[in-house]
Amino acid sequence: MTLVHNWHLGRRMEYPYFESRPKRQFAAIFNINRCIACQTCTMACKSAWTYNKGQEHMWWNNVETKPYGGYPQSWDVKTLKLIDNGENTWYTDEKDEKLSPYGVYEGDTIFEAAAKKNINQWAVGYIPEDKEWRSPNFGEDVAKSNKPDEYSSLPEHSRWFFYMQRLCNHCTYPGCLAACPRKAIYKRKEDGIVLIDQKRCRGYRKCVEQCPYKKPMFRGLTRVSEKCIACYPRIEGRDPLTKGRPMETRCMAACVGQIRLQGFLDDNPKNPVTWLIRHDKLALPLYPQFGTEPNIYYIPPRWAPRSYLRQMFGPGVDEAIDKFMVPSRERLAVMSLFRMAQSIIFEYKIEEGPKVFETTIHGKKFEMYNDTVIGYGEDGQEIVRTTIEEPIHIRDPKHYNSI
Amino acid sequence: MKKGFSLLKYSLPLLGAAFLSATLFAAEETAPGVKGASEEEFTPAKEVLTVKYVQLDKPYHMDVESLKGAFKDANPVKVPLQKQDKAFPNGGGSVTGAEVKAIHDGITIYFQITWSDPTKNARSIAVQEFRDAVALMFPLGAVEITPAEHFSPRMGDREKPTNLWHWKADWEADLLVKGELEDVEVQYPNMHDDFNFNPYSAYYHRELITSVEVLSGGRAANNLLSQPGRGRTVEDLNAEGFGTLTTQDHQDVNGCSHYEDGVWTVIMYRSLITQDPHDVQFVPGGNAFYNMAVWNGGEQDRNGQKNISTQWHPATLEKVAWQ
Ligand code: SF4
Ligand code: SF4
Repeated sequence: MTLVHNWHLGRRMEYPYFESRPKRQFAAIFNINRCIACQTCTMACKSAWTYNKGQEHMWWNNVETKPYGGYPQSWDVKTLKLIDNGENTWYTDEKDEKLSPYGVYEGDTIFEAAAKKNINQWAVGYIPEDKEWRSPNFGEDVAKSNKPDEYSSLPEHSRWFFYMQRLCNHCTYPGCLAACPRKAIYKRKEDGIVLIDQKRCRGYRKCVEQCPYKKPMFRGLTRVSEKCIACYPRIEGRDPLTKGRPMETRCMAACVGQIRLQGFLDDNPKNPVTWLIRHDKLALPLYPQFGTEPNIYYIPPRWAPRSYLRQMFGPGVDEAIDKFMVPSRERLAVMSLFRMAQSIIFEYKIEEGPKVFETTIHGKKFEMYNDTVIGYGEDGQEIVRTTIEEPIHIRDPKHYNSI
Repeated sequence: MKKGFSLLKYSLPLLGAAFLSATLFAAEETAPGVKGASEEEFTPAKEVLTVKYVQLDKPYHMDVESLKGAFKDANPVKVPLQKQDKAFPNGGGSVTGAEVKAIHDGITIYFQITWSDPTKNARSIAVQEFRDAVALMFPLGAVEITPAEHFSPRMGDREKPTNLWHWKADWEADLLVKGELEDVEVQYPNMHDDFNFNPYSAYYHRELITSVEVLSGGRAANNLLSQPGRGRTVEDLNAEGFGTLTTQDHQDVNGCSHYEDGVWTVIMYRSLITQDPHDVQFVPGGNAFYNMAVWNGGEQDRNGQKNISTQWHPATLEKVAWQ
């Protein structure tokens, strides 16, 4: 074991390999508040990569209903139990913007739990059986009722559920990669994408067992394991549509609810993904306590009980929800970039516009300006330009009935 | 103050652990998660396996039944097996021993291994299913195993390569079906799938069918485990220590098996001499060393989770009649 820094946990932790961060890290932000669980993302992935024989049970991207749903069934509850979540506590009195933005996690990660339990493997885990992989949203729309006789009202609903969009997190410290006794799993230096070498894999399913998010899947036809490939040909700009520019993945680009923004985590504070995650802290990692430093970030749903959300996204939840409910001028502008382009946006710029609206939300003043936000590609060229107020087009009466 | 406390709380024990593991690493470990072999592991076992010379009319169909007579006079050697406890992930321990017999006819060498396993696991299609398997391992090249040689009996070492023969119960089952690969429908007969291979059907979709190969990662990457029509039950491999197991480009070994009353009988055979520089070679009248491992699929054994012998075992080949 070596010691590596995990900024989600605000501390160093044990990991079998040295810390080696990619040049830039594949990352995405999902706004849970907007998801309608139409599964268009799920089908976009399925029709591109897993429509084939032996992949019938595979959903590299899936949307499940929380708290009861899960693919595979109860994956998160089962893994949380393995790390003895009684100790899921955080020391949050002091934070460091760079090293410990959410405070310090005081419990065990999947790696530390394995070392403590002396189970002679790198991380705790389990293999879900075939019947647990039957559906991408098992338990769909089943709500949890805290007070069955009451109607729900904001801020926290007493009867609630929400949708959780999931794919491989292309973790900084992948459990799958640590688990593989053959080093058949690797993390690319250029973009941090985690892949299984299909030639070296021998179907041992140690990755299936030790990925806490259960995203590597075994394929009976080829008898080796497969996982989300982050649509790497698109990330490399090999899709003719974007003419060599890095392109968002299938599941991101297809999102009907416009909940997704994909990009790279890097050091540029004007990169929309970096800004929302590292500077604004609006988007939070999923189960940071597992310790893999996952790279899909979520804007938590504002109506679900906070204790549940804190367990799922860590101690940054309250601040993120406050910020989401009363967005600042810059935040509103950056959030307008969600699903505005297929090419990956590397930088944004805001051109100020006039104030158009003003109100009070939960006692806080909110002002809206019709700013213009511009997104630039890797090459510095403008990819997209949009305004906070979407332009309205009124149809000519003579076209009312035409399609 | 409080932060100082919290940082101390986390950094000191972890730093301590790092220091400790660094020392261990230098003193004993060869790689993270791997413990070095002890002196007795470098010492070969005493009992010598005699590879008996027999005159054999090669049966038309190679199976355990037709080879039974040939093994009649071969002396068995009992090989004790134990849990693999040196390299992560550790595991095994459900099979405590196996019996090995060997014969040759001047052309081909045959090893017969028997062990008891109450469950037959001959499929590896569902995610929770693991196969039964057995492997023989030989040092590559003319190596005399002595304590001074420090040749690890656990998969060899860097600069100390081994040749492995790995028999798999599911490969044997594959041989018996059309296309020589048990397909997913065998496991899930009522499953829905979009593939209609009948070119005259209204639902036949040519692009879909031809994309099976391209989008079957393991097949497209030429992984032997994923290929249909391998034509054999034994995989021919090399290794130079934990995690280095590699399928050979040229496959030379084959085998057959029989399972009855909770006992596996597996025979692996290959010509005494091959052209492949990555293969072990056997000379009548000469010596050899072997080691072995057994996997119990019912206990989820695979990779390092296996039942192993922690010593090399000597063997000697009888001369052929005209020598
Ligand atoms: S989510 Fe799972 S499969 Fe993906 S990189 Fe992390 S540990 Fe590996
Ligand atoms: S990134 Fe690509 S491969 Fe991964 S889940 Fe999304 S569509 Fe599927």
